[in-house]
Amino acid sequence: MTTKDPYRGRRIVAAFLLMMGFVLVLFRLFSLQVLQAEELTARADRQHRKTVTVEGGRGGIYDRQGNPLAINMDVPSVFGVPASLENPSGVARDLARVLHIRADEIEKKLKQERSFVWIARKVDPEQGRSLERLSLDGIGTVLEGRRFYPKGPLLAHVLGFAGMDGQGLEGIERRYESYLRGEKQLVVLQRDALGRTVFPKGLNEQAPAAGHTIMLTIDEVIQYITEKELDEAVAASKAKGGIAIVMEPRTGAILALAISPKFDPNIVKGISADRWRNRALTDAYEPGSTMKVFIAAAALEEKVMEPGTMVYAENGRMTVANTVIHDHEKSGWITFAQVIQKSSNIGAAKTAMALGEERAYRYLRAFGFGERTEIDLPGEAAGLVKEPRDWGRRSLASIAIGQEIGVTALQLVTAASAVANGGWLMKPYVVSDIRSSQGQVVAQFGPQVRRRPISAETARTLTGIMEGVVTNGTGSRAAVSGFRVAGKTGTAQKIDPQTGAYSSTLFVGSFTGFVPAEDPRLAIVVIVDEPHAEAWGGVVAAPVFRKIAEQALPYLGVSSRAPVRLAMASY
Amino acid sequence: MIDRVIDSRRMDSFDWQFLALMGAILSIGVLSIYSVTHAQPGGRFPLYMKQIIWILVGAGAFITMLAVDYHKISRLAYVLYAIVLVLLVVVLVAGKTSRGAQRWIPIGPFAFQPSEFAKLVLILVLASYYANAPREGWLQRVVLPALIMMPGLLLILKQPDLGSGLSFLAIYAAMLLVVGMRSKALGILLLFALMLFPFAWEMLWGSLHDYQRERVMTFVDPAYDTGGKGYHALQSRIAVGSGELLGKGLYGGTQSQLKFLPEGHTDFVFAVFAEEWGFVGVLVLLALFLGLIMFSLEIAAKAKDVLGALLAAGVIAMLGFCLVINIGMTVGLLPIVGIPLPLMSYGGSAVVTTMAALGLLLNVKRRRLTLFY
Repeated sequence: MTTKDPYRGRRIVAAFLLMMGFVLVLFRLFSLQVLQAEELTARADRQHRKTVTVEGGRGGIYDRQGNPLAINMDVPSVFGVPASLENPSGVARDLARVLHIRADEIEKKLKQERSFVWIARKVDPEQGRSLERLSLDGIGTVLEGRRFYPKGPLLAHVLGFAGMDGQGLEGIERRYESYLRGEKQLVVLQRDALGRTVFPKGLNEQAPAAGHTIMLTIDEVIQYITEKELDEAVAASKAKGGIAIVMEPRTGAILALAISPKFDPNIVKGISADRWRNRALTDAYEPGSTMKVFIAAAALEEKVMEPGTMVYAENGRMTVANTVIHDHEKSGWITFAQVIQKSSNIGAAKTAMALGEERAYRYLRAFGFGERTEIDLPGEAAGLVKEPRDWGRRSLASIAIGQEIGVTALQLVTAASAVANGGWLMKPYVVSDIRSSQGQVVAQFGPQVRRRPISAETARTLTGIMEGVVTNGTGSRAAVSGFRVAGKTGTAQKIDPQTGAYSSTLFVGSFTGFVPAEDPRLAIVVIVDEPHAEAWGGVVAAPVFRKIAEQALPYLGVSSRAPVRLAMASY
Repeated sequence: MIDRVIDSRRMDSFDWQFLALMGAILSIGVLSIYSVTHAQPGGRFPLYMKQIIWILVGAGAFITMLAVDYHKISRLAYVLYAIVLVLLVVVLVAGKTSRGAQRWIPIGPFAFQPSEFAKLVLILVLASYYANAPREGWLQRVVLPALIMMPGLLLILKQPDLGSGLSFLAIYAAMLLVVGMRSKALGILLLFALMLFPFAWEMLWGSLHDYQRERVMTFVDPAYDTGGKGYHALQSRIAVGSGELLGKGLYGGTQSQLKFLPEGHTDFVFAVFAEEWGFVGVLVLLALFLGLIMFSLEIAAKAKDVLGALLAAGVIAMLGFCLVINIGMTVGLLPIVGIPLPLMSYGGSAVVTTMAALGLLLNVKRRRLTLFY
């Protein structure tokens, strides 16, 4: 080998160039991995770590027999990752075909400068499967809990509904939100560049506990009967709507609560609040003659009247404070019992006047009018009972016949139940108990006495008079063969929104009563709003009472006393 | 022939060390490819398996290039160059297009990239050009070889494959360095280059794809837009940096595993490794590469003739250039051009070419003590 190396200089240059490169790279790596390590690690964490709130499934709602009324179902939600789409319009067309959404709307979403967009949430599982078969790039699905009401419109007004993110918006769903909602848990998840969630290996995947289960006092069967009969009556009378409540008088437990027209809580989009409001407790109305029952209760309790007390009914026309009160059926002298049975406005007004303003007011309040029943449902109205100092000269007479007073259907059935329950006013309730997802009872609700407006004796006497309404008065169509029915009809004129005066065409027909009269098991209120043609409560509402009782009593195993009564009736 | 070579000359410790370095880097590459792609549904041939198959093919190329005397191989240089030019034309006419570049000839489940082989062939062509006769004067030394190189270079830039094109220039420059230039010639060349620069810029810049322009444009500030233009550069920096001193461990690289880092198994395989093994791991890897380069430089220095020295210089230029550019772009020192990391990035053509080049290099070393002719 030669001692002189001709390439030495160049080799040094080459080596120097390469070394320079290496040293530069090494400095840069040191800078990134040591000096900037903390900052870049934080950036990496921000990219791939996502702290999410994982929630246990929402608790179910069941009737008192354990039948499901609201449950949770995992359904797919479709999302897109706009950044990874090469052909948004083509993808949008494919999606539109499967999801039945307009392609241009989807395309608009997919062209947003975002890393994640929802395309459609909580879609049909079948649609989700079709999408998976298409396996479009940049389109994915995740399972989300969707509220599902297996019975459709059944009990919808009580159940309410939950929103897209599973938050209770109405009814039980709203009132018991804190129980129904699943346990929340913060979980640090990893997220890949497509925004898909990746559970890091070794994560303790203990799912947070599901929400509590709500057991209702509602009985699905009685609810079904009630809704069916109410809907039929509303349809037959071409009425605007209707309300029916079935209560257990001894406990205050609601067995059924029906509102007509109904709605399907599975499809609430586009339905107005008017439709899903639980009018049985949110709306007060002037009840009409039904109110006579409670004025009568006060008169009996205060010994102002007895069933046999004679009252002069002024032959159907009486002037009070320069206004005239009419009776539907002109009478002269009638007994106090007949005042109720024939629903004499004049007799009722006279009774109230005999009581005096203070006592009349006190008893109405004692029966729960003008205050919330404190039922465990949201949105309850207190109704309107003015204080005597705000009354006009006619007010006492008006209130006696159910005018100048606003009550809710729930207040009516609760007050009627007090008569059925020996005078004890109960607090109405729809939830019997709350159970954890493991089935342990977390909270239990039972009968709660609010107060006792009348004595047992008064209640018994009044019940007798009310039986007469059915056997011998305006409520004959409420009669249930084999059972003694006590009740009261009501036909209220509505205020004409145009004139501000009582309308001669707009009525509310109602029937409030309980059965069997000697041992009441059911208290029922039926209200039919604005029926066409026949508006009398005894015609439009009393038959609904009968049909509900006829089916519900045998279902509950309440035995008919018919043979006994027949035997007694035949001397 | 092969048998005789194996029989007559025992592998010495230099050879073994050279092989060990090469094998170590190849293994690290396969491991990194496996790590970043193992979660993907791979079909019948997952990517790491394909890479192993390519390495086996590359081993065949390595042995061939080692066994046949490099003088004989060099005699085929122009024939090989003609074949490569034909292949490059085929690519332009019927090649497979991916991300805006037409670089591949599909063969079954594999794709063949002629521009990779072209680099090695260019080394052979230029080396034999300078070695066959004394090339005197700047026309023979500088202009003529540039003209020889031009058809291949233009065809490659037309694809476009900026990375391979730049490799061509690096090899050419290395050759010039070996044959030597007088300072006057160098001056003229620089002046000429300066004059041509606007045209060259126009041609280069004009041949760039939008995505490449964006890469160059946003090289200045990759943090400008995480979602778009500077995405690759930024993600690569984040992946490397978040590896910190000791790394996140095998399969633990969140940025690469969760696909924030694009092209993890190809151009950005270094970032995958850096994220999983940290600064310490990177030091080891760079030491391996540096060792390979040092061995190569020694071979070049001790080559027994001009042809050997030129071949060695060309191979070093090719490897060194790819190495520095790839790592440079991974760590954000250089704009992103599609250049694979030698011996590590997934890609059959690159692996086979690189291993063949190393075979040629060792060939030069093993024949320096024998007298031929």
